Amino acid sequence: MSFEWPWQYNFPPFFTLQPNADTRQKQLAAWCSLVLSYCRHQKLFTLDVLEAQESPVFNNKKIERKLSVEAIQVVFEELRKKGNLEWLDKNKSRCLIMWRRPEEWGKIIYQWVSKNGMVNSVFTLYELSNGDETEKEEFHGLEDWMLLRSLQALQTDGKAEIITMDDGKGVKFF
Amino acid sequence: MHRRGVGAGAIAKKKLAEAKYKERGTVLAEDQIAQMSKQLETFKTHLEEFASKHKQEIRKNSQFRVQFQEMCATIGVDPLASGKGFWSEMLGVGDFYYELGVQIIEVCLALKHRNGGLIKLDELHYRVLKGRGKFAQDVSQDDLVRAIKKLKAMGNGFGMIPVGGSYLVQSVPAELNMDHTVVLQLAEKKGYVTVSEIRDSLKWERERACHVLDHLLKEGLAWLDSQAVEEPQYWLPALFSELLSRDITPEEANQMTP
Repeated sequence: MSFEWPWQYNFPPFFTLQPNADTRQKQLAAWCSLVLSYCRHQKLFTLDVLEAQESPVFNNKKIERKLSVEAIQVVFEELRKKGNLEWLDKNKSRCLIMWRRPEEWGKIIYQWVSKNGMVNSVFTLYELSNGDETEKEEFHGLEDWMLLRSLQALQTDGKAEIITMDDGKGVKFF
Repeated sequence: MHRRGVGAGAIAKKKLAEAKYKERGTVLAEDQIAQMSKQLETFKTHLEEFASKHKQEIRKNSQFRVQFQEMCATIGVDPLASGKGFWSEMLGVGDFYYELGVQIIEVCLALKHRNGGLIKLDELHYRVLKGRGKFAQDVSQDDLVRAIKKLKAMGNGFGMIPVGGSYLVQSVPAELNMDHTVVLQLAEKKGYVTVSEIRDSLKWERERACHVLDHLLKEGLAWLDSQAVEEPQYWLPALFSELLSRDITPEEANQMTP
């Protein structure tokens, strides 16, 4: 399914950080929304700032407008404040994008487990994210670091326990 | 010898004559009133017939409404002037425009977040019709203009700015004077305007042009585009043609400030 760009994407001023405070607030909210839905659509979990500048999200070749690096940083800072982004380095050149937060993923995974009557079974992380059984699920292809965080969230809730096994980690659901 | 008109008897006679005249006057008035009553009854019946015959037409047919309004104007009647009475109650003219006014307010409020409270009449028309659904009554741009005029009279912050052969409908009480209006008209063609264009077309000083553009930015009606090749461009979402048929997304709805 192709990605549906919001109306702002083809609006040239969208790529200029707006001087008016109220308008800028609307603009940033729209950018945050766009970045998250784009990453969700492409199943992207990390972003590199320099690469991002060339990505279609921040660079609309059709109307010849792109978001400047400074502006991208502003958008990323907004996402960080909302809890959807985490910097991987001090220089703020790479980040984790959480278009779904760990708690939300945990819920989805647990729903699948209980729906299929697999409570009390043990899974390896690999089985969960890449197994044949989970192919149709949204969390299929989830990157390890996010999967781990989601399971940790469930663990905090008492719904799962992360186990260390010989060749990696596994999880038991309650 | 008797003196004329004086004396108890004369007074009594005079009084009797007066009484008789009064009675006669009363009788005359009563006659007139009875006659007028009858005429009113006839008039009222005719009005009721007229109303029932045309009430449907008024609700259903926008062309009929235009002609009806023009007819009213020639006889000096404003069917929307008062909430009560024949026009609004029996013909339902008031109801129709009142409901339309409410719908217009709803559409404008829903889009205010995007366009700052300025919308093209075409877009408003499109969305009002959409909101009314397939089986709803026909609504013309003339209907919208009348309903908006009514809203304006009620002091809802509504106004209409003539641009490019049609109107921009303003639904927020942003102060827009002649300078702003004329710049909006200039921007209508391409959806944006620049300082140079204003100076060339309107022969203004740079400062005056910038002042107007700053005001439009401040009111949230315009956005700045500083990546345009020659000079900054000021774009108005209200005039952005691509926006015309785009629905409000759930994200946008969530972003709307109360």
